[in-house]
Amino acid sequence: MESKIKITSFDEGLVIKISGDLDSSKTFLYKEKIHQYMREYGPKYIIWDFKDLTFIDSAGIGLILGRFNEIERVKGIMGLIGLNSYSRKVIQISGLFSIMKEYSSLKAFMKEERITL
Amino acid sequence: MSNSFELKFKATLSNELLARNSLTSFLSPYNLGLDEISEFKTIVSEAVSNAIIHGYKFDSNKYVYMKATIFEDEVEIIIKDYGVGIENVKEARVPHYTSRPDLERAGMGLTIIDSLSDSFNITSIVGVGVKLIIKKKFHPVVING
Repeated sequence: MESKIKITSFDEGLVIKISGDLDSSKTFLYKEKIHQYMREYGPKYIIWDFKDLTFIDSAGIGLILGRFNEIERVKGIMGLIGLNSYSRKVIQISGLFSIMKEYSSLKAFMKEERITL
Repeated sequence: MSNSFELKFKATLSNELLARNSLTSFLSPYNLGLDEISEFKTIVSEAVSNAIIHGYKFDSNKYVYMKATIFEDEVEIIIKDYGVGIENVKEARVPHYTSRPDLERAGMGLTIIDSLSDSFNITSIVGVGVKLIIKKKFHPVVING
């Protein structure tokens, strides 16, 4: 399925919504686009929204990990929302849950991490 | 009678799409659930990208071979390359081991295949190539009416 990326900003954070198949043909392009937003907004929080994700592999996991390393440098927090049982499984296998959490929504993330606007 | 197909394609990453969509099409008469289809796609993608990146070092003049066979409720996927081979299979199967950290991939390909499949076998001879044999059961979604 065709993949799309949509990035929106909130206060000190970015929500990165990726839909469709996130494969290695997309990761470089998406990394550039995310960097563009990171330069512009200097976020402390990055939330991945995978509600409409139909495919992810280690290239996509690498995209998440790479951005995690960057956000960690500014003592930021990364979170995941909209996981289906498939994406949760791949993310769990990859060990990402040892460094970031899943939240039921962006609102829940803000509440749990005590982020006030 | 078991159904099967074979595919031979150039070792370029854009053919990952061909490989995983071919398997999706092949499986479509069997009414798999969306999550299960996605798991098969991830397995194929990891196996194919390993062949391209590590086996052939991105040499797109080379070919990757794929075969899928259905046995009742199980799919057997064979992915083969005639590249450099894996020197230490045991080490390669360790999570986060990667010989190419520069590529910003997770170093998790083989672990992901292992976890998503029911059986996973790697045969490799250095300088000859790598053959992955992956087996995964599937569960057709029953549609009422």
